Amino acid sequence: MTDETEERLAAFLDGAMSTAEAAEFEARLSSDPELAARAERWLANDRRIAAAFAPIALAPVPSELLQTMGLGEPTPVASAPSAANDNPPWWRRHALPLGGAVAASLVAILLLAPPSTQAPKRDLSFALETGRSLTPVRLADGSSVTPTLTVKAADGRWCREYRRSSTVGLACREAGRWKVEAQGAGSGPADGSEIAVASGADGSALDAGFARLGASDPVNGNDEAALIRDGWPAR
Amino acid sequence: MPDGTTATESMRAAIIAALPRLRRFCHAMASSPADGDDLMQSTVEKALTHCDQFRAGSRVDSWMYRIAQNLHIDRSRATRRRGTVVPVEDAYDLVGDDGRATVESRSELAAAQHALSTVPEDQRAAFVLVVVEGLSYKEAAEALEVPIGTIMSRIARARGRIERALGGDIGALQ
Repeated sequence: MTDETEERLAAFLDGAMSTAEAAEFEARLSSDPELAARAERWLANDRRIAAAFAPIALAPVPSELLQTMGLGEPTPVASAPSAANDNPPWWRRHALPLGGAVAASLVAILLLAPPSTQAPKRDLSFALETGRSLTPVRLADGSSVTPTLTVKAADGRWCREYRRSSTVGLACREAGRWKVEAQGAGSGPADGSEIAVASGADGSALDAGFARLGASDPVNGNDEAALIRDGWPAR
Repeated sequence: MPDGTTATESMRAAIIAALPRLRRFCHAMASSPADGDDLMQSTVEKALTHCDQFRAGSRVDSWMYRIAQNLHIDRSRATRRRGTVVPVEDAYDLVGDDGRATVESRSELAAAQHALSTVPEDQRAAFVLVVVEGLSYKEAAEALEVPIGTIMSRIARARGRIERALGGDIGALQ
């Protein structure tokens, strides 16, 4: 593989191509199994390394270190990375609409479909399977879904709350697929909600659903990242 | 500086806010957790005493990544001259819900750190900023003060080396 091809592949994986360039490169990927295999390996390595280092930025900086540096006691600011800059690494870059939609379809191939037998499907399941909470995932139909939190149901299934335009929902993973357990109106007007809802607060629409499932407290970002990485293993 | 107190206070706040990510960057650049924290400390020290060199309007986190990378390169040169061997598998004190998860995180971290240790420093910095810290090519280029094309070629080479280092070992991913 030439240096130039490797650089193109890197730019593709990092969402650093224009939409047209990315579409062209994607076509090349689908006709070059060797290149596609390499893309898969690179992406897997990226995800593995990013996941290995992720906990360091999520842990509070030890207070003795802060003191040594003359920065005093830890403050909430120090232990909570600022939203503006704590770019969650791989899933943001592969799931956000910043020209990443094309890269996201590559992720879909890697995660959900047997290689090259099926068109990637960027649907609700894809968003729940691969998206980190509070990060919007753009779907094939142009809409977007934002997973909002992850819980464990009393029966052991992993469940995720999500927001999709003006509705909120709760879906659980069963035999490798995500099933919607409850839906309701979010902050927008109610449309076709299946559960009687109090208007206003996003979460209240789903309270009955959470109660029925016997949901745990939400898992932390760290554990959620591991679940996404490992394909939602039963624990 | 004239309005020293205010500037220093807001600078301190920005430094503290960037600290968890700076720490991750330093750990990914250094060859052990102890060296990583050491690099972070020197970086903060330098940032606090050289606030006047910070260009208003630019990003404090990018500035600190740059300081860390420059310090790291100086240190690596010194280390190579001395021929010191640094252990990769120091124990990490990571947050983990149970012992098993913690052990898995540690071995994943050791594997990741080993793979990165095979990548030359300039390529490693580009890779870590983009893949671990989530910066765009443009942001990484600004932090390291190199052209975007240089970031792209460094990351491509870094990925090639990492691929060889990790080989067929797909670890906990699958």
